[in-house]
Amino acid sequence: MSKNVESKKKAASKKALEKQKNILDMLKSHGAKIYDDLDSGQFPKFSIPSRSVSNIVYDKKLRQYILGNSTALRSSKNTSQLRSFTQLMWLAFFANRLTNEKKSSTLRDIYYSSQAFAIDFEDQSESDNIIVDLEAVTSRPREDFHIFPEERSSIFGDLNIEYTIPGYEGKTMNLSNHPDGYAIGPSLTTAELVDTSAEIVIAIEKGGLFTRFVEEQVDKKFKSIIINTGGQAPRSTRTLLKRLHDEMKLPVIILTDGDVYGEHIAMVIKSGSANAAHLRELTVPDAKWVGVWATDIEKYKLPTIPMTESDIKRCYDLQKDPRYLDGIWKKELEVFLRLKRKAELEAFSKYGLTNITDKYLPQKLELAKSL
Amino acid sequence: MENGLDACDSKGILPDIHLTIKAVDPEKSDPKPYILTVKDNGPGIESKHVPLAFGTVLYGSKFGLKQARGMFGLGATMAILYGQITTNKPVTVKSSTDAKKSDEYELLLDIQKNKPVILKHKTKDVAKKGLSVSICLEGDYSKAGTKIRDYVYQTSLITPYASITFDDPKGEKYPYPRMINSMPKPPTIIRPHPYGTDVETIRRMMVESQFEIPTIDDAMIEKVRKDLGLAKKNFSFTAIMEKAKKRWKTLSRQVRVIIALMSFLKMDFEKLNKIRIEDIDVPNKKLFYWDFGDSTSKSVEMDPESQYYKQLTNTIQGETLTAFLTKKFQRVGPTTAVKFAEFAGFKPEKRLGTMTNQELAKLSDSLQKFDDFMGPDPSCLAPLGEEPLEKGMKKFFNPDFLTVIQRSASAYSGFPFVVEMGIAYGGDISTRGIKVYRFANRIPLLYDEGSDVVLKVINDIDWSRYKAKGDPPLVIVSHICSTRIPYKTAGKENVADRQEIERELKLAIQFMARKLSVFMNKRGQAEAAKKRANLYAKYVPLIAQFCTELAGKKKEPNFQKILQEEELIENE
Ligand SMILES: Nc1ncnc2c1ncn2[C@@H]1O[C@H](COP(=O)(O)OP(=O)(O)OP(=O)(O)O)[C@@H](O)[C@H]1O
Ligand SMILES: [Mg+2]
Repeated sequence: MSKNVESKKKAASKKALEKQKNILDMLKSHGAKIYDDLDSGQFPKFSIPSRSVSNIVYDKKLRQYILGNSTALRSSKNTSQLRSFTQLMWLAFFANRLTNEKKSSTLRDIYYSSQAFAIDFEDQSESDNIIVDLEAVTSRPREDFHIFPEERSSIFGDLNIEYTIPGYEGKTMNLSNHPDGYAIGPSLTTAELVDTSAEIVIAIEKGGLFTRFVEEQVDKKFKSIIINTGGQAPRSTRTLLKRLHDEMKLPVIILTDGDVYGEHIAMVIKSGSANAAHLRELTVPDAKWVGVWATDIEKYKLPTIPMTESDIKRCYDLQKDPRYLDGIWKKELEVFLRLKRKAELEAFSKYGLTNITDKYLPQKLELAKSL
Repeated sequence: MENGLDACDSKGILPDIHLTIKAVDPEKSDPKPYILTVKDNGPGIESKHVPLAFGTVLYGSKFGLKQARGMFGLGATMAILYGQITTNKPVTVKSSTDAKKSDEYELLLDIQKNKPVILKHKTKDVAKKGLSVSICLEGDYSKAGTKIRDYVYQTSLITPYASITFDDPKGEKYPYPRMINSMPKPPTIIRPHPYGTDVETIRRMMVESQFEIPTIDDAMIEKVRKDLGLAKKNFSFTAIMEKAKKRWKTLSRQVRVIIALMSFLKMDFEKLNKIRIEDIDVPNKKLFYWDFGDSTSKSVEMDPESQYYKQLTNTIQGETLTAFLTKKFQRVGPTTAVKFAEFAGFKPEKRLGTMTNQELAKLSDSLQKFDDFMGPDPSCLAPLGEEPLEKGMKKFFNPDFLTVIQRSASAYSGFPFVVEMGIAYGGDISTRGIKVYRFANRIPLLYDEGSDVVLKVINDIDWSRYKAKGDPPLVIVSHICSTRIPYKTAGKENVADRQEIERELKLAIQFMARKLSVFMNKRGQAEAAKKRANLYAKYVPLIAQFCTELAGKKKEPNFQKILQEEELIENE
């Protein structure tokens, strides 16, 4: 490894340590405030940005949904909030331990761990909700607290990373060594990105196509890192996409099925979801959706299937979303509604299994430059 | 049972009622013959009246206007008749009025003649007063048992001063001991109210107010002599008249009429004995009589100026309208009577006997329309009273909350009525939702509840407004007392929705529901405070634990302060 790489690695682990300290400090200051309240005979309380629909607004500059200014007061004196207040305190306490010990856990883990502390979450959705509360209070994604979702997407390509998780600190890995790709989990998300020869990131909606792309050596042929989002991209994957874009300066393109859900998968990667309006680190505003477009269906004479009632309803819903008011976003929705038909990525197989990588992809990559 | 309770009520005796139902042959399957016996500790019935009371239809001693359970004089006979039709067995009645001798009858009914047939009659020595009736009848206890048990249960609820036992055919015993030892105030017998009368009632009352021309026989003459103090010797006509004038004030109406007749006939007792009065023709002022001596009809003139003439016409033509009203109706004074006469377009001194059918109809009509009569007198009613009702309900349900109310008397169409109600909540009440016990004149109404006015009023109420949401363990007892309950059907099971009754029911329920909601509120607040304190006690220590580690402290914060404060608030 070159000297340059060596120093980059040092800087990277320093950065990771700093980040951890920041988070621990922040949690501590929250804890101290609650502590002082109790000690002085007061019911502790804090305010939290309101996540009600009326407080979710679209920010044109940031090109994503964010929370507005209204906040809600959470008070432990209010018995209807007391339980969730305690749950949130526990979560902060637990996240503090996780961060301290550099241990990761899943959403499901959190639900079960709570039971050891007499914190009774009724079901996982209740505990998931409290996790979102913690994110909203701290404006940090749960991954910063070492809490990860179960869904795994994967990555393949020439990218060197260096682990920061305990037991692997300093260890490096090249992500093109294993043809099935690498699961994007906690260790990958927290790893430092060292270097890469790739010039573009291709995010693709489906595992099957991901495997095809690896087989067809799309990574080499097009100097790319391939990421399988596994449908709607999990937040860890979106974080990684953002880091690849921001830290490695790689453009990101997105390939989805040719339907309204595919279009929205691309949009969420680009500008986030209303569900995560309380977080700002999850978007890749420069990401480009390159297909499959509704217009491609006609252009490439793809075999189609009819849209369902819910597909159509979804189109109309999205037409109300400010992000769909112009450009291809608007145009493609209109064409979907006109065709009332949709096509999957696999539809290209009609013209041969490699048609998508040989013909379609190059055309789209070319096109992306002008988007 | 109702008869026994009525009988005890009327004599102020604390009732002991024993009901027994026994299968004649327990091995047989239902329906089968049973022997039903009701025994009471009431006054009994005089021996000679027993066959009549139980062997004829429409024998009732309760015809005066006052509230009693029985009204028609049908109940006992019908039950006996049912037994007789289904099993062809006689009824056994044992009655003792003096706690020494008991008259025991075995009776059948002769339906055609409405007459009792006495099969056996004997007398026995006993130690207790009272009456017992045994009927053999065909029945299906497996089906009817629930209703019978309900009936006994509810009867004892509304008769807390009675001790009632029921021994059922399966050998089960249902004892309901006396809950209070004082009898509620007995009702008084009163005259009818003008609003509650119709043409037929007026006709009947008129007959009572007109006097028959007395038959002049030996017995009557003997009585007149005695009353005049002239028993021994024969006296001349003038002597008799003189004596009568002196004693006039002390004479009965009957005797006065005889004297008046004698004054026109100008006869002494001896002559009077030989004639029969045929007619008194008031308009023509003539008195017709039959002379047994020469077997001819004769007449004498009557002098309209004579005071005796007035005596006779009064008798014949009945009372004046005002006298009739004040004497025959409740709460009508002379002034009201005169006002009414004017309202109805009659002369106040118009005599009832001279009214045509049309005039009678007009009279009856006007009685309904005249607004100035006072409300009917409720003293004839026998509500249970708030205290006994409350005590009874308390013993029955041992509730967490109980309230009762007796509304003041009101009236519909001239019939007075009183509504009394109670609401019990929680405690031993295990049923969910509102359970209603309906009573009319202390009789449980078990059937046909759907169309009853009480149910209607209860259902119309928005109970959630009174904090009784969902299916509260709530019992409502409703007792309507009236000299005439407006039943919807002949079965006497549901009360019609008369506006006046509906109003009283509604006011009673609303009154009680308000009290209930106060109770529920208080209870809710206490519960909420307790719940709050529990929640704090559970969660605050956890918050303390978590923030201690978060803040990097060793010692937990002193959170006891806020817990204690909360406890103080709760205890306030
Ligand atoms: N247990 C009893 N003790 C004393 N008198 C009784 C008893 N049972 C009946 N009687 C007398 O016999 C009469 C007839 O009773 P019956 O039940 O036939 O009529 P009722 O009670 O007057 O009216 P209803 O038909 O509404 O019951 C009663 O009015 C009462 O005078
Ligand atoms: Mg009776």
